[in-house]
Amino acid sequence: MSEKKVLLKIENLVKYFPIRAGVFKRIIAWVKAVDDVSFEIYEGETVGLVGESGCGKTTIGMTLLRLYEPTSGRIIVGNEDTTYYFMPYFKAKKYIKKTYIKKFENEDPEKFTGIDKKYYELYKQLGESGFYSKLLSNIKEKRSEFRKTMQIVFQDPYSSLNPRIRIKTIVSEGPVMHKVIKKSEIIDKVKAALEEVGIHGDHMYRFPHQFSGGQRQRIGMARALLMNPKLIVADEAVAALDVSIRSQVINLMLDLQKKHNLTYLFISHDLSVIKYISDRVVVMYLGKIVENAPKKVLFEDPLHPYTKALMSAIPVPNPDYKKKRIILTGDVPSPVNPPSGCRFHPRCPVAKEICSKEEPPLKEIQPGHFVACHFPGSLK
Amino acid sequence: MEKKPLLEVKNLKTYFYTEDGIVKAVDGVDFEVYPGETLGIVGESGSGKSVTSLSIMRLLDPNGEIIEGSQIIFEGKNLLELSDDEMRKIRGNDIAMIFQEPMVALNPVFTIGEQIMEAILLHQDVSKTEARKMAIEMLQKVGIPEPEKRIDEYPHELSGGMRQRAMIAMALSCRPKLLIADEPTTALDVTIQAQILELMKELQKEYGMAIILITHDVGVIAENADRVVVMYGGMVMETANVRELFKEMRHPYTWGLLNSLPRLDIEQERLYNIPGIVPDPLHFPPGCRFNTRCEFADEKCRKEIPPLYEVNKEHFSRCFYYQKVEEAQKLKKAGESA
Repeated sequence: MSEKKVLLKIENLVKYFPIRAGVFKRIIAWVKAVDDVSFEIYEGETVGLVGESGCGKTTIGMTLLRLYEPTSGRIIVGNEDTTYYFMPYFKAKKYIKKTYIKKFENEDPEKFTGIDKKYYELYKQLGESGFYSKLLSNIKEKRSEFRKTMQIVFQDPYSSLNPRIRIKTIVSEGPVMHKVIKKSEIIDKVKAALEEVGIHGDHMYRFPHQFSGGQRQRIGMARALLMNPKLIVADEAVAALDVSIRSQVINLMLDLQKKHNLTYLFISHDLSVIKYISDRVVVMYLGKIVENAPKKVLFEDPLHPYTKALMSAIPVPNPDYKKKRIILTGDVPSPVNPPSGCRFHPRCPVAKEICSKEEPPLKEIQPGHFVACHFPGSLK
Repeated sequence: MEKKPLLEVKNLKTYFYTEDGIVKAVDGVDFEVYPGETLGIVGESGSGKSVTSLSIMRLLDPNGEIIEGSQIIFEGKNLLELSDDEMRKIRGNDIAMIFQEPMVALNPVFTIGEQIMEAILLHQDVSKTEARKMAIEMLQKVGIPEPEKRIDEYPHELSGGMRQRAMIAMALSCRPKLLIADEPTTALDVTIQAQILELMKELQKEYGMAIILITHDVGVIAENADRVVVMYGGMVMETANVRELFKEMRHPYTWGLLNSLPRLDIEQERLYNIPGIVPDPLHFPPGCRFNTRCEFADEKCRKEIPPLYEVNKEHFSRCFYYQKVEEAQKLKKAGESA
């Protein structure tokens, strides 16, 4: 695994949404949608992000693509810190000061690794002001580069395509704006992209309502593909589709991945789909990662009680398949007021006293298998 | 198996008259429900599964019409011949229904207690205090904590799972003989879905009622139904008991559907694709409704609608070439074991 190149690294990502009330719209509480989440995505793999509604999986996808600004944390793409790309100038400067300059002044340079090391060398070479201007220069190009690297396919094929414009425009708008394709090439390129996803090229003059759900999802794929991205975030991309159409779209996504060497972050609530499509699986519960492991390991030997319960709750289309069902009691608590200690402890069948007091850290139990539980594997 | 069916649906045809033409949502559906069993109806969107259940309850939109010649026989009475008043006595009392989206199905301006009591007061000769007591009992039975307090709460104060429990409490308050559950867990998370399905099983055992479980989720069917009706394009494609359907399916649609599912219990190389798209109910193809997407379809399938063949005891398939499916399944099994 270690020779593989890390495409995307998320460090301590936090996203809180304010709840406002009263005449002055003061902030009265925070929805802790994503709370201190870290994981990596390697080039060419598919990471499945699974969890129930309200666990923050969609927020992670949206924050990665900077459709939301993160509250804190770092998002590193390839070899660049991209966290400040979409901040206003002074905020970005403040972020760089807080994250790098202070660290470089106060900490031992020997200990820096990865991106910190790279930026430290830059800092030494250019000095403080040079470092700022290096990072903050060409911000428009950097943003454009970022958009070209990452694209998204949304869940609802009915609301994610503008009903008033033709498919040709929908698919080509982004690539033209980011100068991936020239205006003169639009027709040829759009046609090729549509045919690649299995839609007749001449249909580019149609409007979204003339297509079925599965076809619209294919159009969403074509739109993302034409940007030539490295990473595609698929946010519940097949959840709204009928079973017979779903397998078509899943197979299409896998074919395109092979052909274009794409990396997927596949967000879904459906473990069966995740199992089929992913190389590695990240399980979330209430804004936290509870388990992160290669697919095979996770499905053969899940260690977190929540992962086990989730697996046992999935109905299997085989009447002879016997399994021990773990039925969780209660509902998912609100992310405004998450439980103390381990967030899963009120519903956990094996929770002990420590679970309500101390939050378990995400520990690497076997190489590549991370679990956040005080008693991993204790639920039989 | 010489049991008398509780409900018999015979040649049910429900058409909708729209500006664009006649939508034949349900076009000649037959099935029976026996006392105490769970009949699963599975199908994709537009297959007519929900319209079938609404037809049984006679709750169709004004532009929908049940065509003459259709019969829905419940305990010997044809529901389609009853007056509205007589039907009202059966609805909620003998046949109850729970819906997919509890937030839409519950009335937001009444407390859940008032809504459960309404059903009890309508069908049973009891006083208000007694009805309230019964409602609290029902809420307790469906696993709502602190039912004395919860009974005075409004639907928005409950979570999705709790709302579905309240719906079940309401549906079961008059001890119906038949419960129609239309996608009862589709809007819920899987861990909550497991709770609700378990609850329905327990209550079924206790009350001995029959359930029609309508869903698009084949997994839910496999784990909860005794017999299964597979619908496609407003018609029944295959009927069998649940074991036989999953192991020895005899219809190409069922075969394709089951093979296109990503599954937890086995390793899969590549998912099977049913080609094409679900047909528009305004323009069903002539002949077999599935012929445009079927691997085995030939001229005959494009002209004639196949009858329901009895391929095995109590196992019916609407396909001229059901033997071919048998062979395909044998091949697949051989490949799996090799």
